[in-house]
Amino acid sequence: MKKLFTSLLSVSALSLALAGCGGGEQAQPAGENGEAPKGAPTKLVISTWGFSEDFFRKEIYEPFEKEHNVEIVLEIGNNAERLNKIRQGSSSVDLVYLSDYYAQQGIDAGVFEKIDRSRIPNLNEIYDIAKAPLGEDYGPAYTIGQFGIAYNPNLVKTEIKSWADLWNPELTGKLTLPNITSTTGPMILDAASLVAGNQSFNEDQAFAKMKEINSGVVKYYDKTSEYVNMFTQEEIAVGPIMEMYFKDIQAAVPEAKFVSPEEGGYAVMNTVNIVKGSKNKELAEDFINYQLSKEVQEKAAKAKVDSPVNKTLSLTDEEAKGITYGEETISKLRMLDMKAVNEKSKAWIDRWNREIVQ
Amino acid sequence: MKNKGMYLLLLPGVLFLTLFLVIPIVMTIASTFYQEGSFTVQGYFTFLTDPYNLKILWTTLRVSLVTTIVCILLGFPAAYYISKLGARKKGILLALAIFPLLTSSVVRSFSWMIILGKKGLLNSSLLSIGLIEKPLEILYTPTAMMIGLIHLFLPLIIITLVGVMENIDPDLLKAAESLGASRFTAFRQVILPLSMPGLIIGSILVFVGSLTAYTTPALLGGKQGVISTFLYQNAITLNDWHMASVIATIMIVITFVVIGLMNKIATKLNPKG
Repeated sequence: MKKLFTSLLSVSALSLALAGCGGGEQAQPAGENGEAPKGAPTKLVISTWGFSEDFFRKEIYEPFEKEHNVEIVLEIGNNAERLNKIRQGSSSVDLVYLSDYYAQQGIDAGVFEKIDRSRIPNLNEIYDIAKAPLGEDYGPAYTIGQFGIAYNPNLVKTEIKSWADLWNPELTGKLTLPNITSTTGPMILDAASLVAGNQSFNEDQAFAKMKEINSGVVKYYDKTSEYVNMFTQEEIAVGPIMEMYFKDIQAAVPEAKFVSPEEGGYAVMNTVNIVKGSKNKELAEDFINYQLSKEVQEKAAKAKVDSPVNKTLSLTDEEAKGITYGEETISKLRMLDMKAVNEKSKAWIDRWNREIVQ
Repeated sequence: MKNKGMYLLLLPGVLFLTLFLVIPIVMTIASTFYQEGSFTVQGYFTFLTDPYNLKILWTTLRVSLVTTIVCILLGFPAAYYISKLGARKKGILLALAIFPLLTSSVVRSFSWMIILGKKGLLNSSLLSIGLIEKPLEILYTPTAMMIGLIHLFLPLIIITLVGVMENIDPDLLKAAESLGASRFTAFRQVILPLSMPGLIIGSILVFVGSLTAYTTPALLGGKQGVISTFLYQNAITLNDWHMASVIATIMIVITFVVIGLMNKIATKLNPKG
């Protein structure tokens, strides 16, 4: 009996030891200068959303893998799940893609490495607002999308032009809004404050305005796919959404329209950051540089996967359809202060739960 | 020693469950009593004194209770019928009954969306035969949640009941009737008490399952959340693992209380057990 117990123990100890090895990759010595060494093959773990995975794999990751003799491994999930995994410290992620709202949470939790901007020369080619949306120490935005309004003109008779139009009683029972817990939730709260007539954010008036609209809301969506489903099934006919998902809506409802509200759409920035403790920091910086390059940005824009931030590429009108493109468009976008939003978000979620959805 | 050696066969299972079930649960529960290094019950106090949290808890309990009752009402006659059939037919019907369990809850919920939606199957057929004038609002309400949960958990109660009912000797019914019991009395005095173990186990499975279900409420439910979606919000969105653990512990306690209560009822109804 004793013998069996001992062997069981050693088996479990062994498996634990083996599991411990899984994540650890040999650290690469830094190259002379500039690019990370291209010697022995390494592994770069990228944490990202699951959308357009085929495109990324073939058009973006593969060329990088070949050039740098590296294997790119993906970890897929939504913002919150992936950030949480990193915060729990149980992951081997090197590079993480997050919307600015969640990236700020990562910064506040101290889980990101400071980047070396001198190693990312392509930063000079992107829009100023994308360079350091969350501070010089942290990663840039590689895409800026617009949060505006989509609607189905077959079911909504009055034209939608502004955020204020969402409060039109005609839309009762046809409307969806983002849940406060999603990236765009705070934006709709800001829009509510705007519609109530405030230049700077007024929390009480925003919540009062939200209360007004609540009875007309069919469901607060957590995921864009939910929005697209409801729109396709005609459960809803109008609601704010990010422009880059509009093509999915149009595929199902060709007459659907996307509007940049008069007051200005909101900028949704997706950022890329290096996770603290990454053993491939230089390689990860190279990847960020690559992600910002004209070549990659152009490919992603033409495939209508990501709106570009690189200023050096030019797109035809046809190519720019469905993505947020051009200096003029970008300059009109409203931006939330993600630091302030994150400080307030817990209180807002609580208040939203109690005052609005009840 | 030879017989004692047999206990070793339990070891792998016990070891596995201890490592991956008992220890994590104990750690989760223990963590709720510590905050910043000192003992506290503040988390429970905060949760249980807040009318908003209690309302979520109440909604969840109500949904679970209705789901369990409807599952019993639908499952009992079906199980009784199935248990009386020959082996072949029984196999087919049981397989059909289990079918919902074999599809992922996401797929199932999406099917219900298509059926219950404003332009869905149900509304369009009711509209076309003129029974209603405008579409019923079912999707994204607690009703839709309950429909989804009943669909999900009905098989559980049928399986457990069939298992128990199969073993009821048909001669017992004949005996009861020959002693002058009406069919209803025979059912009430013989079948029902003998089915009680299956009914209790089935009800516990359904109730606890509904209490903890996440996907179905998240997809079919509307603006108002249930306890599992609230737990998810606390853990994943707010990163408040302390509150999430408090909620998890409360759910565990409710589960045990419900199991205890059901067992009490069972002994009352069927003292010989």
